[in-house]
Amino acid sequence: MQDDLLSEGLTLMTLGMGFVFVFLTLLVLTTSLMSWIIRRYFPQLHPQPQSQVQAQPRADTDLATPSPMEDTTLMAVIGAAVHRHRKRRR
Amino acid sequence: MDNVMTLWYGSGLYNLSLGQAVMIGVGLLLLWLAMVKKFEPLLLVPIGFGGILANIPEAGLALSAAEQAVHMGTADVLQQMAEALNVALPSGESLEAWRQSIATVLEDGASPALTRAANDVAMDAGYAHGMLYQFYRVAIASGVAPLVIFMGVGGLTDFGPLLANPRTLFLGAAAQFGIFATLMGAVVLTNVGWMDFTLTQAAAIGIIGGADGPTSIYVSSILAPELLGAIAVASYSYMALVPLIQPPIMRRLTTRRERSIVMTQLRPVSQREKIVFPLMLLLLVVLFLPDAAPLLGMFCFGNLMRECGVVERLSSTSQNALINIVTIFLGLSVGSKLMADRFLAVETLGILGLGMVAFAIGTACGILMAKLLNLISKTPINPLIGSAGVSAVPMAARVSNKVGLESNPHNFLLMHAMGPNVAGVIGSAVAAGVMIKYLG
Repeated sequence: MQDDLLSEGLTLMTLGMGFVFVFLTLLVLTTSLMSWIIRRYFPQLHPQPQSQVQAQPRADTDLATPSPMEDTTLMAVIGAAVHRHRKRRR
Repeated sequence: MDNVMTLWYGSGLYNLSLGQAVMIGVGLLLLWLAMVKKFEPLLLVPIGFGGILANIPEAGLALSAAEQAVHMGTADVLQQMAEALNVALPSGESLEAWRQSIATVLEDGASPALTRAANDVAMDAGYAHGMLYQFYRVAIASGVAPLVIFMGVGGLTDFGPLLANPRTLFLGAAAQFGIFATLMGAVVLTNVGWMDFTLTQAAAIGIIGGADGPTSIYVSSILAPELLGAIAVASYSYMALVPLIQPPIMRRLTTRRERSIVMTQLRPVSQREKIVFPLMLLLLVVLFLPDAAPLLGMFCFGNLMRECGVVERLSSTSQNALINIVTIFLGLSVGSKLMADRFLAVETLGILGLGMVAFAIGTACGILMAKLLNLISKTPINPLIGSAGVSAVPMAARVSNKVGLESNPHNFLLMHAMGPNVAGVIGSAVAAGVMIKYLG
């Protein structure tokens, strides 16, 4: 009975460790293959996600803190529009 | 005067047994470790407090309705329960003897149908399940809490470093030897006659070597629920001890030159690869090891939500709010298993000792595997990242980085070590699947 336990333990150890290795080896192979296929046939332009990320905040900052140059043109446009609006109402 | 005596007999002080007092002390010790020593406070605070709650005399927070009825019921209720459980109660014996014989039947695992019947009788008599018992049923016995946490962990995991250098998966595999060596350790201890573990219990103890809290709780809830308290406590306290246990082993097994190996810069990994990887991992699990599907399935799901980029809200919930909520209940439920009669045994000491050995062996095997890979392949691998193969994300990777910086202050290994680190998570989940398949 006791030796049974020992041999069962040994079986489980070799079986388990073997399986972990086989599984992760398979995972290494498939991962490498997957990476190769994607980089070869479906390449993603690397700057693309970056520019997306950068574009988002830039659009935000446009509204929040405009540069002084844009500010003056913006004020001029608003001023003209207001002027015209008032003129028309009179 | 009678009323005063009733109050006294119902008080905690009168009913406090030595074991319960010791366990409340253990709960306070866990709280101290969490608060002062900063040992995984997010888990040890709920576990320690749950442990104190579970040991409040007469409150029976961690007991089922049937167990409470056995403890406090009248002769009438006891007779009904004995009928439901098919236990013969010899007439003429004291009430205490009756309680004893029913309690042993309940503890030794009457069949689920009989236990349900006993619970029904107890509930009819006005007893209810304790609060912590309910938490345990919902969170751990059902397997839900560890799996939901695993989903959150998947959401927190970045497979980038692993995809950039897939060979590091071997390091994660090698470090799992700690699990199986510990299993053998438990079996040998039983064989020598020092302890008494069954093979399933030995397997559940071994999983501590995976250094992965949710995995070890999940496995022991299936294979050895009676040891869950000790196993969870051991696995979380050793995760906190990683920075103390690992560095001496790492220094012993490597030369100074090996420690200062500079690794090549990792290539950038595209989003597409990151999206396909969890799906591919899931496919492999489906094909080869369906028993690991609950763990790795939730892990892949959490990771896919993170990487696909269209379910930002779900992903952030699973890795923040949800994981926190579940952690609270998981901790309290684990605490409910810290009851004196089950925790205060020689076996607990054995589990604590074996857990330490598991960690040490896992660390050593990871490092030796890295040295082996170095012999075979041309691109250099710093053996220090091998120790990160025991999961313990991200603590083990930080330790690799720190020991590496000691030898070469310009050599940052953190990103390189994250590869074996997440490989370790996958490896221990696979090992858990094998154990459940073989023994479950």
